[in-house]
Amino acid sequence: MLRPFALHRPSTLHDAGHLLDEYKGESALYAGGTELLLLLKEGFLRPAHLIDVKRVPRLNDIVVEDGSVLVGATATHRTIERSPVLGISCPIVPAVAQHVANVRVRNVGTVGGNLAFADPHSDLATLFLALDGRIMLWRRGVEREVPLADFVRGPYETARQEDEIVTAVRLFPWPARTTATYVKYGFHERPTLGIALALTLDADARTVVEARLAVGCVGPRPERLSIESELRGRTLVEVLADADRLASAAAESIEPVDDLHGSADYKRDMTRVFVRRALAIVGARAAGRDADVRYPHTVVV
Amino acid sequence: MTPRERIVGTSVRRVDALEKVTGRARYVTDLDRPGMLHAKILRSPYAHARVVRIETATARALAGVRAVVTSADLGWCEPYFGPAYRDRPVLAIDVARHEGEPVAAVVADDESVARQALDLIEVEYEELAAVTTLEEALAPGAPLVHASKPLAGHFADLSSLRPKPGTNICHQFDFERGRGAAGFVDADVVVEDTYTFPRVQHYAMEPHAAIACWDDQDGLTVWASTQNPYSVRVELARIFRVDLSRIRIIVPLLGGGFGSKTYAKIEPLAGALARITGRPVRLALSADEAFRTVRRCDARVRVRLGFRRDGALVAAQCEAQWDVGAYADIGPRIIQKGTYTATGPYRVPHVLLHSDAVYTNTTPGGAFRGFGVPQIAWAVESLIDDAALRLGRDPVELRRQNLFAHGEEFARGETPIDGKFEESLARAAEAIRWSEAVLADRGRGIAMMMKASVAPTVSEAIVRLHADSSVTVLASTVEMGQGARTVLAQIAAEVLTVPVERVLVAMPDTAITPYDQTTSSSRSTTMMGRAVEEAAEDVRGQLIQIAAGRLHGEGVGLRLEDGAVVSGRGRVTFGELLETRFGMGGGELIGRGVVAPGRSQAPLGGSTPFWEMAVGAAEIAVDQETGAISVLEYVSVADVGRRINPLLCEGQDEGAVMQGLGHSLYEEMLYEHGQLLNGNLVDYRVPRTGDVPHLQCRFVENADGAGPFGAKGVGEGSLVPVSPAVGNALARLTGVRLRELPLTPERVWRALRARARTDQPTKDVT
Amino acid sequence: MSDIRTPSSSSVSFRVNGQMVTLDLPVHALLLDVLRDRLGLKGAKRSCDIQVCGACTVLVDGAPVSACTYLAVEVDGRVVSTVEGLAEGDALHPLQESFIECGAVQCGFCTSGMLMAAKALLDEEPAPTAERVVAYLRGNLCRCTGYRKVIDAVVACGRPRAGT
Repeated sequence: MLRPFALHRPSTLHDAGHLLDEYKGESALYAGGTELLLLLKEGFLRPAHLIDVKRVPRLNDIVVEDGSVLVGATATHRTIERSPVLGISCPIVPAVAQHVANVRVRNVGTVGGNLAFADPHSDLATLFLALDGRIMLWRRGVEREVPLADFVRGPYETARQEDEIVTAVRLFPWPARTTATYVKYGFHERPTLGIALALTLDADARTVVEARLAVGCVGPRPERLSIESELRGRTLVEVLADADRLASAAAESIEPVDDLHGSADYKRDMTRVFVRRALAIVGARAAGRDADVRYPHTVVV
Repeated sequence: MTPRERIVGTSVRRVDALEKVTGRARYVTDLDRPGMLHAKILRSPYAHARVVRIETATARALAGVRAVVTSADLGWCEPYFGPAYRDRPVLAIDVARHEGEPVAAVVADDESVARQALDLIEVEYEELAAVTTLEEALAPGAPLVHASKPLAGHFADLSSLRPKPGTNICHQFDFERGRGAAGFVDADVVVEDTYTFPRVQHYAMEPHAAIACWDDQDGLTVWASTQNPYSVRVELARIFRVDLSRIRIIVPLLGGGFGSKTYAKIEPLAGALARITGRPVRLALSADEAFRTVRRCDARVRVRLGFRRDGALVAAQCEAQWDVGAYADIGPRIIQKGTYTATGPYRVPHVLLHSDAVYTNTTPGGAFRGFGVPQIAWAVESLIDDAALRLGRDPVELRRQNLFAHGEEFARGETPIDGKFEESLARAAEAIRWSEAVLADRGRGIAMMMKASVAPTVSEAIVRLHADSSVTVLASTVEMGQGARTVLAQIAAEVLTVPVERVLVAMPDTAITPYDQTTSSSRSTTMMGRAVEEAAEDVRGQLIQIAAGRLHGEGVGLRLEDGAVVSGRGRVTFGELLETRFGMGGGELIGRGVVAPGRSQAPLGGSTPFWEMAVGAAEIAVDQETGAISVLEYVSVADVGRRINPLLCEGQDEGAVMQGLGHSLYEEMLYEHGQLLNGNLVDYRVPRTGDVPHLQCRFVENADGAGPFGAKGVGEGSLVPVSPAVGNALARLTGVRLRELPLTPERVWRALRARARTDQPTKDVT
Repeated sequence: MSDIRTPSSSSVSFRVNGQMVTLDLPVHALLLDVLRDRLGLKGAKRSCDIQVCGACTVLVDGAPVSACTYLAVEVDGRVVSTVEGLAEGDALHPLQESFIECGAVQCGFCTSGMLMAAKALLDEEPAPTAERVVAYLRGNLCRCTGYRKVIDAVVACGRPRAGT
């Protein structure tokens, strides 16, 4: 049972923006509602007006634009799961999207809503960090781009201003010769740990030229880890031989928090364990082997 | 065993299957009454607080609100209720004793308005010191959850409640056998340890719900999601000072119970609100309200076991403290039942057991599948494995050596052991391949349990044979998924030789279906089954008597077959017999069954109708880096005497095992300063499809039960051994012994690291 | 396309179990309550109320959604399927038969949601493996059965029949 509100369905961004201005302080943007409606049920938010942005055209498009992929904010997890554009340009995204929450949430929940809500236990935010994600924010006809790392400020806190609308997330697919994995661990409804690891090798497939390592769910927000710099320029063989130390360093570099999904020291150690495992998975895949590993309460993409 | 029966022993379709798969099944919240209003509860945000002032005027003024009620408006009825102690107010009176306690209630035209009205009620609280753990509640000088001693409730076996005045201990239970603790002098090896069992939640898929309606003859009808309508009836009769005959409790299907819906919970409030508004009132809890209504009692259990060098268990001592939460509910009986069979299915000549039920300012603890036995078995069965290690004995063999024999005495006046426990143990060991070498990265564990069912106890039933040979069974056993209505139909159909499709088991309705104590304690197949069997046999006897007259025989050699009475001389259908009897095409034969073993000299006041005994065996793997346990295989063996419906029994035990895995691996209610942190399914983790191991649920059927066709109870037993079986498997695989549940990855991880630091088997770091 | 008379109520037209329905609804109405209270389709249940347990699962354009956290106005112009629409007259859907045969029903409170989720799966993948069924039904909770027979029932239903 929800408290009453008025529902507006603008058919352009401008109309949506006007509504945000008109009902400043008493409105909320609405798309899938999988996060928003829960807040309304709990009474944490009591907007008198919901502004439904699903009718704004092209807001759920997924398009390639100058080497990046623009994923519209109202695209559902299911749309992303099945997107031919992403399947070709950035296949890890559909592969991870199919493991978000449950099938019902995936059918309805949107990527924009997910990122704007900034639940710390989120898979997509972690993955998108590793894809150098940038959030597109629109206000009164003007768009700005914010790196995801700056957009997510903390638990349930983003850089979105009250009168801004998230219109898309821009992802930069990894270059050719990138081998990657996304690993998520946890037995609760939300993951305890999410790791995105992508290593790009040179033409000889020996040396790591680019490294992306994002860890999420353990702290207030997902982070790219500084040990990426220790991976660049080394051979893959060296990296794999040094996996234990690198994983420990990764674990030391994060700031986990105690919460209902685990204590900070457990999360720190799990970061170590799963960074090491992720390195092994990427190493195996880069060598053309199938890294069919299974760990309890773990999804390996 | 050659089955002579045609229906009993076969997996006939559930009588309610069709309605449940088509969405036609009706639960309380699917019902509508004309003019029905909707109630919502305002709950205390504090674990312990004085209610200084409640301001309801603004809420009452909201359009669509029909009443806003506090305890000040309930002076016209008895304020307190509860089966053991009448300690629970309908609405908080001056003080709230747990977070979530109902403080006020709103009745409105719809739930949305009611919710809005809740927001408009102003309550001023004065926070009081709270005790939210056993340690806090038992500390000398601890604040008292209940300042004064409440009146005793309505159960005979608790007529001797033994609180400890001046403390939070509301009941004490002692049990002694032989020389008690002095028996330890006979022991060569003594093991001792302390275990804790967590607070867990039933999470029945359907939260509590009730619709209450007074009629113009001052009678009250309540459609209630309850497991014991007669218990609710007696409570409401007393609260509202109305004759029992004028309280009518109707129970449609329950969306799960597991003990959470035993004894009055929200029915008193629903009844009061209906009275005040003069309209039918629906009170339906949300899932997070259910978390704050009842839970399992957590416990701290210290056990000492003494063995002779040859492995004979000679002495046992147990001291347990049980947290019954802010209101005792059926806590006192839980501690008795759990403690009574603390030593499990083993012969132990010298026993000294003591348990305390302790109040804390948390969600009230109440009945939950296993009823105290899981908490103790977690400790005792784990300790037996430790003893096996010390004695250099195989854990299966050590248990087998000490098992009760069939027919052996448990206690004076008590029902003798009614099962061949060795058979269950052997089958479980075989199914888990106990004697074969286990793979290096796997571990196996085994555990057993034994539990008494409630006694004294009463079940009454009526069977009506109609002129067209259809049958109605009137029984107040509640259908909460276990399949009781199907089983009772099978029993009646078997005795009366009619197809099971022609038997209708009526919905429990205290105006129509006679007295049954409760649907719990695994008792319904045995006790109500026998009552139905007796009632059907009564009808059978009447049929034979009529037939004897008609066939000019003396009733010898007459038997029922396919809806007729047959003899060498001929065959007369039921319809023809009724016509003979009544001289017209009408009338019915009514049979009655009463099963009421009554009081006895047994220690708990009545002799158990049957012993529930089960074995569990697990094979696990552990990810030693994360601590995550994978249960690869699980075997349960339950000694059930006779499965009236094999598929239903299997379903019950599969569910029991998974529910046991819940508290073994994932489930715990986490509190901080009396605030429940995870009262929702995002943060409280119940088992899911991916958690099911390779699961085998087996049954021993020696037709040695007191129930119909040799049946005994089933449904609780297979839940109990899960946690010690898994804990024992973990200990055998890793050398690490954990004494807390659930065995979450983090707990296991912490224990493995502590062991690695000291490099030898050690106590877990708690 | 919905006709928005005022932003706080709306006329919603949709097909439910094959029948066209038009209702005037407050925009804050949840689909679960509209199905249950306005249309008398009580099969979908309210349990956790936060999208986790699946007791409220219905299909919108063939896709499972949590009706407890879904605005009713969203079904305007769409097709809604509930458990009441699974059977065709007296002929049960194979899933319903399979659930009964396999003993996958106990208290029944999760059953409507399980059936609708399973139907959506089988409509997409006619012969899913047990592992796939486990993954798809991961978001449908049951407290009674322990899942074993539910999984078996869906797998049994999914086996490709000879000749099809």
